Amino acid sequence: MSPRYLLRRLLQVVPAVAGIVLLAFVLVHTAPGDPVVALGGDHGDAAYYAFIRAKFGLDRPLPEQLLAYVASVLRGDLGQSFVHGRPVARVVAERLPATLLLMGTALALSSVAGVWLGVLAARRAARAADLALRTAALLAHATPSFWLAQLAAIVLALGTGLFPVQGFTDPRQSWTGWRHALDVLHHLALPALVLAAGELALTTRLTRTGVLEALGTDYARTARAKGLPERAVVRHALRNALLPVVTVIGGRAGMLFTGAVLVETVFAWPGLGQLMLSSILTRDIPVLLGLFVLVSAAVIVANLLTDLAYACLDPRVRYE
Amino acid sequence: MRVLLRTVLLLAVFCLSWAMSSHTEAQDSTPRGGTLVVAINADPGHLNPAITTSGATHTAAELIYNGLLGRDERGDPTPDLAESWTIEQGGAVYRFRLRDGVTWHDGTPFTAADVKFSFEEVLLKFHARTKASMGGALAGIDAPDDRTVVFRFKQPYAPLLLQLDATEAPIVARHVYQAGDPQTNPANVKPVGTGPFRAVSYQKGAEIRLARNPKYFKPGLPYLDEIVMRIIPDAGTQVLALENGEVDFLWGVPGPLQERLKADARFRTAQTSYHPGGSNCIMTVSFNLDRPVFKDARVRRAVALALDREAFLKQVLFGEGRVATAPISSEMAWAHARGLRLPGFDRAEAERLLDAAGWKKEQGATRVARGVAGVADGARLAIDFLHFPAFAKYGELMRQHLGAVGIEVTQRPLEPSVFAPTVFKDRAFDTNVISYCNGPDPEIGVRRMYVSSQIGPAPFTNAAGYRSDKVDALFDQAGRTVERDRRAALYRPIQEIVAQDLPYVWLVETPTTRAWAARCSGFRAWTGLFAEAAFCRRS
Repeated sequence: MSPRYLLRRLLQVVPAVAGIVLLAFVLVHTAPGDPVVALGGDHGDAAYYAFIRAKFGLDRPLPEQLLAYVASVLRGDLGQSFVHGRPVARVVAERLPATLLLMGTALALSSVAGVWLGVLAARRAARAADLALRTAALLAHATPSFWLAQLAAIVLALGTGLFPVQGFTDPRQSWTGWRHALDVLHHLALPALVLAAGELALTTRLTRTGVLEALGTDYARTARAKGLPERAVVRHALRNALLPVVTVIGGRAGMLFTGAVLVETVFAWPGLGQLMLSSILTRDIPVLLGLFVLVSAAVIVANLLTDLAYACLDPRVRYE
Repeated sequence: MRVLLRTVLLLAVFCLSWAMSSHTEAQDSTPRGGTLVVAINADPGHLNPAITTSGATHTAAELIYNGLLGRDERGDPTPDLAESWTIEQGGAVYRFRLRDGVTWHDGTPFTAADVKFSFEEVLLKFHARTKASMGGALAGIDAPDDRTVVFRFKQPYAPLLLQLDATEAPIVARHVYQAGDPQTNPANVKPVGTGPFRAVSYQKGAEIRLARNPKYFKPGLPYLDEIVMRIIPDAGTQVLALENGEVDFLWGVPGPLQERLKADARFRTAQTSYHPGGSNCIMTVSFNLDRPVFKDARVRRAVALALDREAFLKQVLFGEGRVATAPISSEMAWAHARGLRLPGFDRAEAERLLDAAGWKKEQGATRVARGVAGVADGARLAIDFLHFPAFAKYGELMRQHLGAVGIEVTQRPLEPSVFAPTVFKDRAFDTNVISYCNGPDPEIGVRRMYVSSQIGPAPFTNAAGYRSDKVDALFDQAGRTVERDRRAALYRPIQEIVAQDLPYVWLVETPTTRAWAARCSGFRAWTGLFAEAAFCRRS
């Protein structure tokens, strides 16, 4: 891959993000609803709502608001949260680590376990284990994550007592160091498993199909004829089967965030998903726009990384 | 003899001091220390309840602050930062004597200047209820010395004493807020109050930790060492967390889950109509009186008769609440018109009234107009019903009940920020349902529903567009009358008139159920300082 290609791809991110900022701004501002009602509460008088409208610049014409917003974004300023009264970048940055931890763990779990289970199913194709895995994958993929989350909280947390129902840490403890890390991992287990479930199912099914297809090709037959052990044949087949899997994993970063909104809400995980939901309910427009920009940029970067991963997996892929 | 006398005296002193010490021990037997974990619904964003009426901020932060006055279980004012008060000039002047020796959490002495500043620079600018109700009536606030505050009104102002608690008017520190914009002051996330607990940390989206204020001005309080406000947005998860021992106190329990907690000896529950976001709420159907169909009082009465309000109580609230019996909440017993006759469930009478009003049953299930003023002959009696998405069940019952008498109802669920301008600014609705919260006094939450000056774009005011010169005059008189009995005598005819005119149908009063771990006790569910005297035994 040439540096020029990489630079070109990175430069393409800029107009894409700019387009998203514009689109998000128009969508958020033209959606029905008056943010002043959410901000001012139920009991104000006309003068109070006019005061709030002027204070947050909502009394200015929309094109003027757009220009002001674009100018501040270009200066690296995402604005001030209506609800939190602090810069959006800070509000978002405070929640980012929790979501990165949750999504990263879920993505790692679903990718590693999904590929492993997919290979297992392919090697036992049309046998009981394969049927069981395919059925489980279908069920997991079809189950809504908010329902699965509630079921997990009832059965695995309340039922067994092994897991906490909610939160990032134990509120009755103020641990530091490794005990704090263990506490976080303990609280992470259920939300990460639930968030991973849907992706795990998809990865399993894709890997199984890809490996089965690759095992039926001429080069696999030749490898077997040469006396290569089955494990080595599968390894060769897997590498070719992984391209579509990587495409899907990279392309589903946005979907994973959507799942995180629901899972974070059910498990009270203090991440961006919860912030997104509360910002929608309170019409905190600057935070909503900031989140749109961040998530969109993350999806674009995830797609870029996916493209770059092709070159590593398939020597035939060359980016010039 | 002298020795004997001295011995007897010594013995008497010893016995007396022993008796006194054992009495003190008995009083102090309340367990001290420990952590209370409280589930709250949303991240408050900041911890300054003086700049917002947001329920999220008030729930999380009121224990950090105090008002001039508190409220007892019946809703009557009690001393808090003010130890006494006098009402002068027939209610046009209120004079408060502040407690001595109160300090802010940073050690600065609390004075009357803090009260004057809080009202003039913060509450009357940013607290929607205080600004809307008190702002126009106030002539000025004086602080003649460090311990005296005087409120002067343009004319007698009745509700003041019920507007001074930590929910309606929390007092903030002048030395902290006097520079810059109160809405962006860093102290909003690192607050300095006078309350029983001081803020220790605020982990955004996760929890707020409060610690005991060792210099709290109420002797012996608080009992708890620490309170953790844990942010749990999902109500079902909150209940599971209580059952799993992860939290100790819930502000509300969804109807279907209440029986489960009530049947479990590990928990206690209590109903209250108080909520920091709005107290004494009644689910109320509004008629748009600008629409020709609802100009006829017989149609409004027919709708009221067709609605089985017991069914709303059972099927929507799972029994948690009461059927409304007057326009003012029964929780405000002094103002509530006891024995008032609101239309009961009577489908046959509803049908008769609709027939008489010219809405006839012909071939279809929906009635059609025959000689109705302002409505084309043959027009169907089809109305829309606007509601928040959370109130969808009210819409379903409304459609079912009115459908049975030939009124077709179309539900229009709208988010609050869309609902408010649609109803109050555009007036683009036939009927809707609103949770109208009466607040601590009729002047705060009732008046706005009925007086003609409150017809306009400001949300949650006079949705019906109701106008009655007599009702306007009675409300004005009640607002200027300080003696409670005389005020009650004015609110009675108001309720009789509106119960006759029926601009609204008052469905159900909606208290909420608090729940907590049985090992904890001493909660004051009727106030924002709910855990000021709470304590927990070690499990």
